[in-house]
Amino acid sequence: MPGPGVAAYLILSVILFATGAFGVLIRRSPLIVLLALEIMLNAGNLALIAFARQTGTGTGQIFALTVMVVAAAEAVVGLGLIVAVSRRHVELDVDKLTTLRG
Amino acid sequence: MIAAAWIALFAPAAAVVAIALGGTGITRSVAGFLAAGSALVSFVASVVVFAVLLGENPDERTHSSTLWTWLSAGDLKIGAEIQVDPLSVFMMLVVSGVGFLILAYAVGYMNGDAEERRYHAYKALFVFSMLLLVEAGNLVLLLAGWGMVGLSSYLLINFWHQRATAVAAGKKAFIMNAFGDATFVLAIFLLIQRTGSVEFDAVFRSDVVEHGSTASVLIALGLLGGAVAKSAQVPLHTWLPDAMEGPTPVSALIHAATMVTAGVYLIARTNVLFELAPDIQDLAGILGGVTILLAGLIALVQTDIKRVIAYSTMSQIGYMFVAVGLGAYGSGLFHLMTHAFFKALLFMAAGIVIHALSDEQDIRRMGGLGRAMPFTYRVFVVGALSLAAIPPFSGFFSKDSILGAAANAGTLGWILWTAGAIGAFLTALYTFRLLFIVFWGEMTPFAREHLHLKRFEGGLAMAWPVAILAVLSFFGGWLQVPWGWDLVNEWIDPVAQSAAEATGATLVFSVLASLALAVAGIWLAWRWYGRPSDVPERTRRRLPWAARTLERKFYFDEAYDLAFYEPASRKAIFLTQYVEQPLFLASLGELGSSVRAASRRLSSLQTGYVREYAFALAAGVAVLAIVFILVT
Repeated sequence: MPGPGVAAYLILSVILFATGAFGVLIRRSPLIVLLALEIMLNAGNLALIAFARQTGTGTGQIFALTVMVVAAAEAVVGLGLIVAVSRRHVELDVDKLTTLRG
Repeated sequence: MIAAAWIALFAPAAAVVAIALGGTGITRSVAGFLAAGSALVSFVASVVVFAVLLGENPDERTHSSTLWTWLSAGDLKIGAEIQVDPLSVFMMLVVSGVGFLILAYAVGYMNGDAEERRYHAYKALFVFSMLLLVEAGNLVLLLAGWGMVGLSSYLLINFWHQRATAVAAGKKAFIMNAFGDATFVLAIFLLIQRTGSVEFDAVFRSDVVEHGSTASVLIALGLLGGAVAKSAQVPLHTWLPDAMEGPTPVSALIHAATMVTAGVYLIARTNVLFELAPDIQDLAGILGGVTILLAGLIALVQTDIKRVIAYSTMSQIGYMFVAVGLGAYGSGLFHLMTHAFFKALLFMAAGIVIHALSDEQDIRRMGGLGRAMPFTYRVFVVGALSLAAIPPFSGFFSKDSILGAAANAGTLGWILWTAGAIGAFLTALYTFRLLFIVFWGEMTPFAREHLHLKRFEGGLAMAWPVAILAVLSFFGGWLQVPWGWDLVNEWIDPVAQSAAEATGATLVFSVLASLALAVAGIWLAWRWYGRPSDVPERTRRRLPWAARTLERKFYFDEAYDLAFYEPASRKAIFLTQYVEQPLFLASLGELGSSVRAASRRLSSLQTGYVREYAFALAAGVAVLAIVFILVT
């Protein structure tokens, strides 16, 4: 089997996931948060496909495809929410959206 | 013929439904006529049934008919079943006949009351319940009628629900009757356990219950408990006088003519079971004897016109209990019938007086009404003479039939005869005291001020049923004449064979003695109340304790208060104060406030920052991952 082993892919996947999670936690713009979320999902996809290739079965690929579909749907909903928020002339800052404070 | 019996049963029920569904769509008088008309239909149907039975062989006069299986539990099947036999037809005629006259009277009496329709519906419901009671073909259906009679009497007693006393009286009647219902139910349970059936012929024919065994005693005792409560006998009698809070036709219908006699019917109906337990049957007679005396004595000092008649009802039902307790079923039922006539008559005449005096019931404010109300006075005299058992009025024949039978029934018979004879004296005394105070002498200022009369005194609508009852009170007793004929006994005998008959030399003695006592009672009433006299006042002053005991009705209410109400209410107050207040109410408040405080603290976790939620999630996943790694 040519190319690097599964460990390299997993290391990349962890780096991507950490980047995404870090982005979600520290960025304030909802657009960037959404973007970071997509990176996390794709980190997962990468790990799935790496394993699929290692075992030679298609299961992981199917999972990755499903995740992409869900990610697309999630992006639609998320962007829709952001548009709706900006239409109400609220500043686009996740720290300002604290109506649900207990 | 059976169809006629079903019609008799369901006509009043149809009237109830019609009045209830009609609502304000029908006028008040239409509601009244519907109720009275349904009773008339029942009466006509009963007459048809009676005529058919009359044409049959005396031993083949029992018919029953089942519409459907009403209840079934395992092997036990209870049908919606009626039984027509001489006893039930006798009761049907009394209930629907007298019931019709009273319902017709009520149309006039209640005219103008705010909730007249409801009243007529209740009355028709009562007639239906009573007919169900007497026509039922098994004990459970009888019990259903029994309970519905209690319900409709409750509804009618507190018909004027804006009066606190009426509501209290209704509750009292209901609770006391419920006590009797409970013992009745227990008796039925025991019967089902022993015989596996509730059908009359199966229960009465079965030899599973031995003569004199504990089971037979318990069954008879349970039935007697029901009968005593429903018929207002000592010691469950205190509800009846209070029940006079209801409208007067109610008093006439329920508390004189029909409902209170249901106990007598029950004992006559289940006479086989009572004969299996002779001690309990004796007890029924003894309770009757005690009631005759107690009620007669209390009636001497009552000042409410309806209460005097109510106590006299209790006392007269005491006679019927004596009769059925001694096994003289025919005599007891005969007195039941004549009593229904003359007692309904007395109540309805009293109702006319009460109406004419703007709802005043205190006899001390009446007087001299005889001249102002000649018709009412005359019918009242007929009722009073009949009640006092003066020949040839109906009460004479029926009461002396009972006393004559008692005189032929051994030692206990003679004891009860003595009670009955003293009762005859008391009856004459209190009845004529009432008559003289209300109708004789000078009119009181109150009466002069408030008396207002229509044509025919209470109005024709109220006058004609009273007139018919007066005629019946006069002639009703001639069904059974000593040394003449014995129609009632012969009619009842196939169902309830009389063990004691009024015959022989003892009857002569009995008739003469009781007649002498009754005349003495009337004479004494005349001496004390028929003309200005200070004897009652002086007696009261000389024997203050006796007067007080009678006015307090032998302290029965006080005793029940002390024995049941006081402990219960004290216990409840104690529990409220020392258990409910500190333990439950206080702890509930504490619980609520502490939950609120805890949730206020918890809610501060919810900051509203999406970032923090995400971090919590990520941290949680990280912790889980570390745990997994460490564990595996």
